[in-house]
Amino acid sequence: MKTLADLKKIREKAQEEMKLRGGTTRIKVVVGMGTSGIAMGAREVMKTFLEEIANRNLTDVLVTQTGEKGLSSLEPVVDIIEEGKPKITYGNMTPEKVKKVIVEHIVNGRIVSDYVVATGN
Amino acid sequence: MQDISLHLLDIIENSVRAEAKLIKIRIIRDVKDNLLRLIVEDNGIGMDSQTLEKAQSPFYTSKKDREKKVGLGIPLLKQNAEATNGSFQMTSAPGFGTVLTVDFQLDHIDRMPLGNLKDTLLGVIIGHPEVDFSIKLISHEQGVEKSFYFETAAIKEELGNIPLTYPDVIEYIDQSLLEGIQNTNMEDV
Repeated sequence: MKTLADLKKIREKAQEEMKLRGGTTRIKVVVGMGTSGIAMGAREVMKTFLEEIANRNLTDVLVTQTGEKGLSSLEPVVDIIEEGKPKITYGNMTPEKVKKVIVEHIVNGRIVSDYVVATGN
Repeated sequence: MQDISLHLLDIIENSVRAEAKLIKIRIIRDVKDNLLRLIVEDNGIGMDSQTLEKAQSPFYTSKKDREKKVGLGIPLLKQNAEATNGSFQMTSAPGFGTVLTVDFQLDHIDRMPLGNLKDTLLGVIIGHPEVDFSIKLISHEQGVEKSFYFETAAIKEELGNIPLTYPDVIEYIDQSLLEGIQNTNMEDV
């Protein structure tokens, strides 16, 4: 059974890490979770982001969910937001595409242009 | 929507859009009463009676309203519940939030599966760090009650400034939900 004591250990470990690296979020991922997005597989897209972050131990990425983005035909849709850079929106996402975006874009900083459906605000 | 857990995700997103700060989710599986019940209660902005009626009917909903408020998700869920001798009830008041109670006949041939409850819950908990979730799963089978209770407020308090997307936290929540779902026999329902 998981207990709150386990969380305390996690917090201590995370705080140590944050002290070393400054503790800022480098990149923000926003997954569109409106009705059509859900019907098109947005939950699996969200799950894959979380799984990859956990497996690759990415401690400076934040993932959130948001409602309909008015891009129904391109769902599931994902925004990648980095400070000082234009927002990148990926469309028709799948778990496989998420894995590629994680490796290429989030880890190595190279935009996967094949999946991009919009840029900027 | 292929299963109940995807409908649940859709309902929760409605609650988030309604600016809920606390969302209570109850799932009850009662073999003796042949019932699968889903209750979602939020403390969001709520709806007046007119909006409440609109939200439940696909025919009264114009596209403009739909983008602003709730979508086709609610009417579809209502239809899916009623198709299994179940029922659908949504009550709401402006300023007080919304309560949704959906009953399915557990063994009805047309009842959609519960589906991947864990991924729905994991996604909303981590994806909406500003919202607190109170989750209770209850299973009644052969005179035995099993329950699982999960509250995110306590977790956030313990974590302090550590984000829910921290890798070990994702694993902690994922594992806790998995154990709870298994212990209450909510897998493969």
